[in-house]
Amino acid sequence: MWQYTLKRLLQGVITVWFIATATFLAMHSVPGDPISGERAATEAIRANLAARYGLDKPLGEQYVIYIGNFLKGDFGISFTQQNRQVNDIIREHFPVSATLGILAVLFAALGGVLWGALTAIYRNRLPDTVIMFLVILGISVPSFVFAALGQLALVNINNFFGVSILPVAGWGTVSHMIVPALVLGMGTMAYLTRLMRSSMLEIIHSDYVRTAKAKGLPAERVFLKHQLRNAILPVVTVLGPAIAAITTGGFVVELVFAIPGLGRYFVQAVQQLDYTVIMGTTVFYGSFLVFMVILVDLLYGWIDPRVRVQ
Amino acid sequence: MSAPLLEVQNLHVEFDTYGGTVQAVRGVDFKVEAGRTLAIVGESGCGKSVTVQAMMGLIPMPPGRIMKGSAKLRGVEILGRKTIEGREVRGAEIGMIFQDPMSSLNPTMTIGDQIAEPLIVHRGYSRSKAWARALELLKLVRIPEAEKRAKQYPFEFSGGMLQRAMIAMAISCKPTVLIADEPTTALDVTIQAQILDLLKDLQKETGMALILITHDLGVVARMADDVAVMYAGQVVESGSVDDVFYRSSHPYTLGLKLAMPNNDPGRHDTLQPIEGSPPDLFSPPLGCAYAARCPHSMKVCEARSPEQFDVAPKHYSRCWLHHAQSPHRAEGLYLGGGNE
Repeated sequence: MWQYTLKRLLQGVITVWFIATATFLAMHSVPGDPISGERAATEAIRANLAARYGLDKPLGEQYVIYIGNFLKGDFGISFTQQNRQVNDIIREHFPVSATLGILAVLFAALGGVLWGALTAIYRNRLPDTVIMFLVILGISVPSFVFAALGQLALVNINNFFGVSILPVAGWGTVSHMIVPALVLGMGTMAYLTRLMRSSMLEIIHSDYVRTAKAKGLPAERVFLKHQLRNAILPVVTVLGPAIAAITTGGFVVELVFAIPGLGRYFVQAVQQLDYTVIMGTTVFYGSFLVFMVILVDLLYGWIDPRVRVQ
Repeated sequence: MSAPLLEVQNLHVEFDTYGGTVQAVRGVDFKVEAGRTLAIVGESGCGKSVTVQAMMGLIPMPPGRIMKGSAKLRGVEILGRKTIEGREVRGAEIGMIFQDPMSSLNPTMTIGDQIAEPLIVHRGYSRSKAWARALELLKLVRIPEAEKRAKQYPFEFSGGMLQRAMIAMAISCKPTVLIADEPTTALDVTIQAQILDLLKDLQKETGMALILITHDLGVVARMADDVAVMYAGQVVESGSVDDVFYRSSHPYTLGLKLAMPNNDPGRHDTLQPIEGSPPDLFSPPLGCAYAARCPHSMKVCEARSPEQFDVAPKHYSRCWLHHAQSPHRAEGLYLGGGNE
C-alpha cells in the first residue's frame, strides 16, 4: 500500500512538471506579452520593463529560473496587479474556490448516489421517470443558466417573504454558499445519478445480492452492505475528474454570484497574459487536481479490496 | 416415516415477459423428510431453480408471480412469509447455496464477515461471538488456516474454497433444510466430489434435510435418497433413488438415462440423445408436455395431461402408459426400450 501511494505521488510530481512546462511554452507562444499595451509607451520603457521582469533573457533561461523559483515555492509577482505576490492571490482566493468546490462535490456525490439508488429501486416507475427527466436537464443545461435561474429564484423568494432568506450574491457565511454550490454541482450530480443508476441496476440482479437475500438479511442491510458499497465503485472512479471539472469550471458561477474565488483571477490572467499569475494558478490547480485524483485512487483501494493487491 | 419436514403442493409460478406469460412451474409437488436428501433432476429451463427460489421468496415480483400452491415447513405455510414460529425462514430455517460460488459472494466483504452476518442478524450474536463462530464453521467445512482465511476476500479464494465458504454461511444458523442449487456445476470434477462428500458429512452431523438440484445423474446416484424428475415445470416421476433408477417409469427418465455417458468396459452403446426440445412454456401443450418427444406417445397423450399414477408405494409417474386401459402398459420401459 505504501509503495503504491509513493508510486502514485511520484507520478503526480511528473504530471505537474509536465503541466508547468506545457503551460510555459504555450503561454510564450501566444503573440504579445504582459508588458505590451499602454504601459510600454516607448521602446525605452519597454526595454526597461523587460529587463526588470527578466523577459529579455532567452526562453530557456527564463524557464530554468521559473522552475527554480517554483521549487522554492515562489510563484513570483503579478504583472498586472501592482506589487501583488501570486502566492498571496492564491492564498487569499483559493480557500473560497475550494470551499465552494468541495461543497459542490459533496452535493453532487451525495445527491448522485441517493438519486441513482432511488431510480434503480423504482425502476420504470414514476420516481424513476421524474428523476431521469431532471437528470437530462441537469446534464444538458450549462451552469451559467442554472446560476442565473438560481439567482432569479432567490430574488423572488426573498421578495415574497419580505426578508432575505438566502443572499443573492456575495460571500462570507454559510448561507452565501448553499445556492452557488448547488448550481455548481448540478451537472455532476446529474451525471453521477445516471452512473449510479446503471451500476445499481446491474448489482440488484447480481448473484451475491440474491445470496444476501437467501441469508434472510433485512432489506436495508442488503441495500447498505451488499448493494451500495459495490454500486458506488464506478461513482468513486469518476469523482476525481468530477472534482477537476467542478473546481476549474467554477469561475462562471463565481462571476455570476460575485464570489471572490480564484477562478476569476485565472481567467483574467489568461486574458491579460499575466505570465506569473497564469503559471501560478495553472500549476497550483494542476497539482491540486493531481492530488485529488491520487486521493480518489487511494479511496477506491479502501472500498474495493481487489485494487489494493495489485 | 413421520410427517414430512417440508412439503410442496401444487406450486404454480409464472413470469411476465415481453413475449407473454411463461408458466415456468405448473403444479409441482414434493416432500422432503428430515435427514434425507431429495434430488430434483431435469434439464435446463424445466423449473428446478424457480421452484426452490419461489419457496425461498427469491423470485423478483414483478415480473414473477406465485399463482397457487403451498409450501409447508413442519406443517406451517412459508410461501409469502418471512418468519414462522418466530424464526426467519430464509437463512435460519432454510439455508441455500448456489451454482456459481465465484459470483455468489459479495466481493467487497471478507469471507468471515459474510459467514458471521446471518448469526448477527438472526441470532443476535455480538460481532466477536459471530466471528468466533464463523471461524469454527470454516474449520467445519475443512478450510485450512481459518483465522487467516476469514480475513480474506472472495477473490483470494479458489472456486472450491468459495463453495465451502458458501456452505459454511448457509449452515451457520443450523437450518433444518439446506437447498443446494447445482452446487457443483461450476467446479472442477475433482472438487465436485469433495463438495458432495462435505455436504453428505454435514448432513449426517446435523440431521438436516438436503434438497439437491442437479442435472447430473451421477450426482443423484451418489447423493440422493429420493428423486423428483422434472420436465417442463412438472414433476414427471418421483420416488426413491432405486425406484427411479432401476424401475424408471417415465419415458423421460429413461431418455435421460440413455443420454448419460457410461464407461462400463463391456458396453459399446452409442449415446442416445432425446430428440427435439422442451415445449414452449408460453403456451404449454394441452396434453403431456413430453408427448412430442416420447417414443411411446399415444393419442391420449396429446389430448389430456396425465395424472399421477402410483407404480409402487411412494413412487409415481405422470404417464398414461400406467393407466389401466393403456394398450402396452409400460412393459417396454423397464427393458430400456428407448427412443426408436
